[in-house]
Amino acid sequence: MSTKKFLDKVTYAVLLLLSLLVVIPFVLIVSNIAINGVGNLSIELITQLPSEMGLKGGILNAIVGTFYLIIIAAVVSVPLSVGAAIYISEYTRSGRVREMIEFMSDVLSGIPSIVFGAFGFTFFVYYMNMGISLLAGALTLAVMMIPTVLRATEESLKAVSRSLREASYALGATRWTTTWSITIRSALPGVITGILLAIGRIGGETAPLLFTAGYNIYLPTSLFDWTASLPFIIFIFTESPFSQLHAKAFAASFILVIIMLGINLTTKIISRRLSRGVVE
Amino acid sequence: MINLKINNAEAKSPSSESKRVDSIGRVGLLILAAVCAFIAVLIAVFLLVESLPALYTYGLGIFSSTDWNPYIDRFGIFVFVVGSLWVSGFALIFALPLGLATSIFLAEYCPPSLRYSLRTAVELMAAIPSIVYGLWGFMVLVPWLRYSGEPFLRNNFGFIPFFSGEPQGYGVLAGSLLLAIMLLPTIVAISEDAFRMLPSTLREASMALGASKTETTFKIVLPAALPGIAAAVLLSLGRALGETMAVLMVTGNTMIIPKTLFDPTYVMTSVIANQLGYAFATPLYRSALFVVALALLIVSICFTATARILLRYAMKSRSFGI
Repeated sequence: MSTKKFLDKVTYAVLLLLSLLVVIPFVLIVSNIAINGVGNLSIELITQLPSEMGLKGGILNAIVGTFYLIIIAAVVSVPLSVGAAIYISEYTRSGRVREMIEFMSDVLSGIPSIVFGAFGFTFFVYYMNMGISLLAGALTLAVMMIPTVLRATEESLKAVSRSLREASYALGATRWTTTWSITIRSALPGVITGILLAIGRIGGETAPLLFTAGYNIYLPTSLFDWTASLPFIIFIFTESPFSQLHAKAFAASFILVIIMLGINLTTKIISRRLSRGVVE
Repeated sequence: MINLKINNAEAKSPSSESKRVDSIGRVGLLILAAVCAFIAVLIAVFLLVESLPALYTYGLGIFSSTDWNPYIDRFGIFVFVVGSLWVSGFALIFALPLGLATSIFLAEYCPPSLRYSLRTAVELMAAIPSIVYGLWGFMVLVPWLRYSGEPFLRNNFGFIPFFSGEPQGYGVLAGSLLLAIMLLPTIVAISEDAFRMLPSTLREASMALGASKTETTFKIVLPAALPGIAAAVLLSLGRALGETMAVLMVTGNTMIIPKTLFDPTYVMTSVIANQLGYAFATPLYRSALFVVALALLIVSICFTATARILLRYAMKSRSFGI
């Protein structure tokens, strides 16, 4: 074997080793959370509200709270961002307006989550007079969802072939009809992937909720109630001195990780189907 | 022929009813797009307005003063800026070589069978919430560093100034290691794209001249991918500076300027998360925290814009031929 070929093999081996090294922390973390989390899972944990300062009972308040926060955030942000994406991809030519909105959305996606938290706390909670509430938390998360949904929708609209739209125009359909009955339908899987990705991004966020949604040992009954969430209870339980709460933090993390990995794998499967469709 | 023309004319003039729907719809969508853009502007302007009182009172000196004492209205954020730079800088130093090696492996060497599972694993790393990384760091990494990792480094490499501190667990090392793990998916994904974007003719030309795979990868492909890699570095550095919960939970949050990797520190995001709740009643205190938030926003905008320019330049200059 020549020196060059030998060197190639060595490089291959070294790079392979380094790549496996990257995956090791992931395996360590997930297995640690799984081992500690499964041991502390129980039916009571996911069906009961906390009692005795959270030491007894379950974390139903946080599970339901996270669910509410995500639903309301999505209801607010999906129409906004899908509409904006349709506007810039179907109604504008590439140019100033499109550039500007794309840049704004990139800026939004780069803003640190604690800055959203500070904004949400001061703007929604204080100036808009919502108080620390389900609504303020959900609106803060909704703002964070915008860029992901917007860019995903835009990308999948771009992928719809031009001839499909032209065929619709040729049949006498307006831009509006074409967009809603032809273009958006073909782009739908991509849009759904974007929404799921965005939910995956905000579902695990703690920093924006610290001062906007707070904590509540009961289920929220109105939009203006304080609301617990899974990431928030993981934070406060971890920093508490009680080992019972540490156990609950692991269990809650396990539930959260399962949800997040589930959402992520679903988006992967959808987008895999999509790309297969394009190849055919 | 005439018939066809008539059909065309009919086709091009939809009923006035649907025309009206069309133009109303257009305006409606424009409003939605404007709202999305407006929110980004609103956040920026809001942060600026909120931080004006502190900027007005202390001037730009607020960034270089180390005196942070809210009880007597002294607000200097230098300590937090340094803390953020230490933690993010070392995170990048730890993550960049590994991430780059992985992206080279994935793009140039990896057999397809392994590629899918390796990529999936890296992508799933990004799906884990930062609070879960924080929990792991708090429960596993910090105790391990305190009782095994840091004493080992101190005993064997204590002559290096960075490793000469008192092992404490909570500190720069814990924060930057945890952050490095969290940055890996970003670095790998963006720099792998930078490699894949390059036309295969580049590699083929090099191989045809007799260069080996390794020579081609490191002398031809790697330099050509540099703009994309630079974008990856900028975007991940932006993420590092903005990361909140995981760093907050493992860095010890102590008001000192770290001298070794074992020293505790206080980063910009942590001070907002820890103190905004108390600061709310005191306008100047709150404003000083908003200066920190504004600085984070400006840095993030600069990084985003630069990365965008770099990526566009890479697309234009590198992907000719495909």
